Amino acid sequence: MASETTSKRDSRGRSGAAIDAARNHRLAGLVVNLAPSAFWLGLFFLIPLGVMFYYSFGQRGAFGEVLIGLEYLGLDQYRTFFVPDGANVLEAIWYTLAWLVEFVVPFELAATDPTPYVQLTLKSIAYGLFATLVSLAVGYPAAYYIGRIAPEEYQDLLLVLVILPFWASFLVRIYAIQILLSGNSVLTNALGILPFVEAGASLMNSRLAVLIGLVYIWIPFMILPVYATIEQIDFTLQEAAMDLGADRFDAFRRVVFPLSAPGVVAGSILVFIPSTGAYVIPELLGGPDSQMIGNFIANQFGAAGNWPLGSAASFVLMGVMLAAIAVYLRYGEAESV
Amino acid sequence: MSLADGPGFGARLKRARSRLFERGNGLLLLQTVLVYLFLYVPIFVLVVLSFNDSRYALVWQGFTTRWYEALLAGEVVARVNPEAAFTALAHSIEIAFVTVVVSTVFGTMLAFALDRHDFPGKRFLLGVVYMPIIIPSIVMGISLLLFFNLVGIGLGVHTAIIGHVAFDISFVAVVVAARLRSFDRTLEEAAKDLGATELETFRYVTFPVIKPGVVAGALLAFAMSFDDFVVTFFIIGNQNTLPIFFFSMVRQGISPGVNVIATLILVVTLAVVAAAQWIEGPIW
Repeated sequence: MASETTSKRDSRGRSGAAIDAARNHRLAGLVVNLAPSAFWLGLFFLIPLGVMFYYSFGQRGAFGEVLIGLEYLGLDQYRTFFVPDGANVLEAIWYTLAWLVEFVVPFELAATDPTPYVQLTLKSIAYGLFATLVSLAVGYPAAYYIGRIAPEEYQDLLLVLVILPFWASFLVRIYAIQILLSGNSVLTNALGILPFVEAGASLMNSRLAVLIGLVYIWIPFMILPVYATIEQIDFTLQEAAMDLGADRFDAFRRVVFPLSAPGVVAGSILVFIPSTGAYVIPELLGGPDSQMIGNFIANQFGAAGNWPLGSAASFVLMGVMLAAIAVYLRYGEAESV
Repeated sequence: MSLADGPGFGARLKRARSRLFERGNGLLLLQTVLVYLFLYVPIFVLVVLSFNDSRYALVWQGFTTRWYEALLAGEVVARVNPEAAFTALAHSIEIAFVTVVVSTVFGTMLAFALDRHDFPGKRFLLGVVYMPIIIPSIVMGISLLLFFNLVGIGLGVHTAIIGHVAFDISFVAVVVAARLRSFDRTLEEAAKDLGATELETFRYVTFPVIKPGVVAGALLAFAMSFDDFVVTFFIIGNQNTLPIFFFSMVRQGISPGVNVIATLILVVTLAVVAAAQWIEGPIW
């Protein structure tokens, strides 16, 4: 700051009172530029989130009304969410871990399952992770092709073609997927040529449909950042690795892929966060068994009418997002800087 | 398993892997083509089916433009009421227009504040600016619903505008700030040294340079507002926007009327983006 003032004096030949005036002027400029957005984001973004946080400590009355007087405040909703009836916190953690491990081991570990809410949260995270992994597996080779192999004059065109669907309406694209997955569509009839697949059988209202929808909508967000890092890579390093005896696979695994890691991390976060918090995609493409936490939250503010529990679930979902962003800040940005 | 038997399993695997990687470019091209097919085939099928001469089936039965003609003439096609669609469209445009004006002005000012000043709490403010982009729309929509409910503001188009501005400020600020970062500020100093006032400097030096960023931010804001379903759904009360109208139609199933509306939405949004590209060059 001090050096800035002296340099100003040097370049403009101002001093003393003139600098003070300039500084006040700068301050006024800052306040004027900042005030409208700060006001709007404060009043219509932060305060509503605060209101929601407050609601999450309230209770639901006997007739579905919301009790948020001071005498009702407590952690009841979070307890309902995380801890099964009659268990303590340690048992709840054990039930959750055991439930996860039971997916890979054939025997039962714990006497009780975690609460349905915890199961739903973990299921939503699983959807997010699956969508991310599929997007990466499908999108990385495409990004590599666009960034490294495609002739330079076509790269911009190829990128625009990846971004274009993102500009087309979100709901229209989900509807387009719905058309393809419905019974007797072009796709479902074509799949009939595969063995064991019934021609024209609907793929809608299933977990597969939700997963396809998530990947379809968010895959551009994986391709773009991965392309951006691959385009920056100095490929003489790959040649050097191969001169030193690495085969193509090793050169890729140990040189190229690590160099593209920041893009992979960024793309993964960009796909994981909206996929885990999805509401419309499972609503339109999923069936009763493929609803996600977003649908649960919406339902608590609609038919189920339990606003405090819905608020608590929202903050659990936000906690998952924050954890994902923390991972990004730790592994993504740090490497790209 | 002795050396005399030839190369071991590991070595053979390695050789196969290597051969696969030598074919790499062709396989990558194939994979890339598949990705583009995945992105475009559903949209293509949707557009083609909007010209399908069949009321129910998803199977091609011949070319017709009668669904378009009927909807444009104001007839109801398979539950899709063109009058309701038009009202919803009018709301969408009204909301998007006001949102774009307010959020472009506020967001650009915010970008200047973030780019040109250091102040206490800047990191916190940056976090707040990124949050509406990051947090799930459903959380943002419902928290606004709770807020309006608590304060006692009736829901409608005005509350939808409030919510849209709240997330569009962030998008504009991020896009404009990216443009400002590469701005050569000695240009402004030169203008001032040559006697330009602050407003003149902004009008003739700063704004022309950052204009593509501002236009891109405004277009992004328009697209985000026009296309938003989740936030709007919770805070617009019993009014409709085009996405909300469309959502209620989609829920009732696939029909020629919905195909036509979807195709029209698609054509309009892509035309806006194409126009923007044509005026400003690539905006991403």
